[in-house]
Amino acid sequence: MKGFTALFLVWTLLSPDSGGGEAWPTHTACRDGSLEVLYQSCDPLQDFGFSVDQCSKQLKSNLNIRFGIILREDIKELFLDVALFTKGSSILNYSYPICEEDLPKFTFCGRRKGEQIYYAGPINNPGFEVPVGEYQVLLELYNENHSTVACANATVICS
Amino acid sequence: MAPRVSCFLLAVLFSASCRVITSLDWMCSEKEANKTYNCENLDLREIPDTLPDTTEFLEFSFNFLPTIQNTTFSRLTNLIFLDLTRCQINWVHEDSFQSHPQLDTIVLTGNPLIFMAETSLNGPKSLKHLFLIQTGISSLDFIPTHNLENLESLYLGSNHISSIKFPESFPTQNLKVLDFQNNAIHYLSREDINVLKQATNLSLNFNGNDIKGIEPGAFHSKVFQSLNFGGTLNLSVILNGLRNSTTQSLWLGTYQELDDQGLTSAMFEGLCEMSVESINLQQHHFSGLSSTTFRCFTGVQELDLTATHLDRLPSGIEGLSSLKKLVLNVNHFDQLCQINAASFPSLTDLYIKGNVRKLDLGAGCLEKLENLQKLDLSHSDIEASDCCNLQLKNLRHLQYLNLSHNEPLGLQSQAFKECPRLELLDLAFTHLRVNAPQSPFQNLHFLQVLNLSHCLLDISNQHLLAGLPNLRHLNLQSNSFQERSIPETNLLQTVGSLEILILSSCDLHSIDQQAFHSLGKMSHVDLSHNSLPGNSIDALSHLKGIYLNLATNRISVIPPHLLPVLSQQSIINLSHNPLDCTCSNIHFITWYKENLHKFEGSEETTCANPPSLRGVKLSDVELSCGITAVGMFFLVVFLFLLTILLIFSVKHLLRWKYQHI
Repeated sequence: MKGFTALFLVWTLLSPDSGGGEAWPTHTACRDGSLEVLYQSCDPLQDFGFSVDQCSKQLKSNLNIRFGIILREDIKELFLDVALFTKGSSILNYSYPICEEDLPKFTFCGRRKGEQIYYAGPINNPGFEVPVGEYQVLLELYNENHSTVACANATVICS
Repeated sequence: MAPRVSCFLLAVLFSASCRVITSLDWMCSEKEANKTYNCENLDLREIPDTLPDTTEFLEFSFNFLPTIQNTTFSRLTNLIFLDLTRCQINWVHEDSFQSHPQLDTIVLTGNPLIFMAETSLNGPKSLKHLFLIQTGISSLDFIPTHNLENLESLYLGSNHISSIKFPESFPTQNLKVLDFQNNAIHYLSREDINVLKQATNLSLNFNGNDIKGIEPGAFHSKVFQSLNFGGTLNLSVILNGLRNSTTQSLWLGTYQELDDQGLTSAMFEGLCEMSVESINLQQHHFSGLSSTTFRCFTGVQELDLTATHLDRLPSGIEGLSSLKKLVLNVNHFDQLCQINAASFPSLTDLYIKGNVRKLDLGAGCLEKLENLQKLDLSHSDIEASDCCNLQLKNLRHLQYLNLSHNEPLGLQSQAFKECPRLELLDLAFTHLRVNAPQSPFQNLHFLQVLNLSHCLLDISNQHLLAGLPNLRHLNLQSNSFQERSIPETNLLQTVGSLEILILSSCDLHSIDQQAFHSLGKMSHVDLSHNSLPGNSIDALSHLKGIYLNLATNRISVIPPHLLPVLSQQSIINLSHNPLDCTCSNIHFITWYKENLHKFEGSEETTCANPPSLRGVKLSDVELSCGITAVGMFFLVVFLFLLTILLIFSVKHLLRWKYQHI
């Protein structure tokens, strides 16, 4: 019976689907002299691609980004939640509407579940200087039903 | 050795059977028994056997079905809605939906279609909605035309379509929505539009196509429900091309990431020769906005200028005198008077939401808008120490006023005297300064809905809600009561017609038994997210058939005499309370289980005490609190022994006493 128990244990440990799926790889959104931005998708269903055209401590306003994803939800309404942490303590929480029924800001607003999106263009951010340090950023894109469209765990390293 | 082998075999068998069970576990989820199922993201290669034949609505997106043929869905003959988004479908073969007479919606979005057979959509008696978004279509003759006679909407966005010319055989008579978003259509010819002449009340969407040319006369005497040319860079091309057409709603907005050449008066000339009811020009820039820019807008009833970078509107604008609805959201006004409201005397609806700068309401800036019924000034950083009679002067017909999400407003008595016909007033998230005993809402005889949530109000002012004889819906969420309690005499006594009352997150610790006594018409009471104990239910004893939300309070024991109060209500939510599951609460627990149908959130209605039952759903608790037969036997034996002991000791005592005499 010992053998059986051992086998059973091994099986439960090795059998798939008992734990969560494998994590998505960590990508580099940008890397320049002083600033490095790494991100990892926290949507268990899929990864996505993202890059920023310039990366410097003195962050310029109206940055250009590139973003590619498959939509798993309609995005007639799309909101972004940003939570910024450093050394485990929260510094900033912020919510921003990207697409609204009465104000679709970008061309991709209103696209449907299943569509593949590629966006290359400005994001209308303010310019600011990033203080030296390491930051964790949790970004979440979700629609009007609070269904996840994209989720990212990012690390910003400024030296 | 033999037992080891058998052990191994057993283990393999066991693991195999377990695997079957786990795969069943992540089978489709049931949304409505025998009817609606969701099988998204399961990597399925066929319709699972577990789905009942009676399935009507099937979400099957993000699975793997390279080929669809007549056997693929043949078992599910009752299908009405079928979503096959991103199933990597290459082929839709002959008669794939032959056995689905009731099918009315097929979604094929995001599939790399190579070919659809001529009869691939045959079968459904009335196929109404077909989604072919991002399926790689470059020509409209790819779509099999058999059996599209009943089609009402056709979505063809994000393909490689450059011409909208349908084959002659394409049935368009029932089409209501034709969506060509994000294609490569740059030119619309007469012939293209003529094919659509059978369709009535059609909505055509060319958003994200950058139309560079329209053949003159292409839209001559055509009638549309809506036309969307969003993101088109040259508006004069569109407006000249639409001459002599009739459209209910015309969307000509642009987007943040697109270069905008600026709108000039000359661009709108084509509008003089067409009929449009509603126009949207969001996110454009106006170059040289003057009083004649809108000269050709005379027939327009609704104009949306959201985020058009405006800091003022010129005075004496021509052409907008019959405008009914004006949207000026997300602009850059400093002063409300800068919109020069006198140019829009017929206006009934005005929206100035989310103004980018701090908006000063000034005095009487809207006084010429005698017909105004709806005014939205939310999210605009408005601040006023004495609101709102000077600011809203002469708005006699105003019915809807939204001042939510602004900076602090000071309100005196009769603060809305200038708008006596208000029916809805939204002040949520705007800090209100009201000194007791002022009654700011006095004489709003028609007011039915009042939202005062997160207003940081002093609710101890008993006159706060005086003069609201018809108020039906009151939201006081996240305000605080003095001493965390609603006393017998309180501000609610003046609003006897109240039907919906929201007092959630008010940090309440108690409610007087008579606190709601004057409120006899209530049908919905939300007291969630407070610190109320069980006996606060007493305050509701005079109400019947209401929706009662007591979620997230401090209710642990509900005394038996309050159960009839709960019995007479229709829906109750007691979730997230520290409920007591000991014998001291047995009456309530028994009653709860008998009345489960009345309860909302029963999954989250769990015990907090005793520790052994913490987290257990109240509906699963089994308690026996009476004295059992065994208990009774031991009790009798114990009493019997005690009596004998007593007799013996008395006897002994007496004997001892007498011996000493």
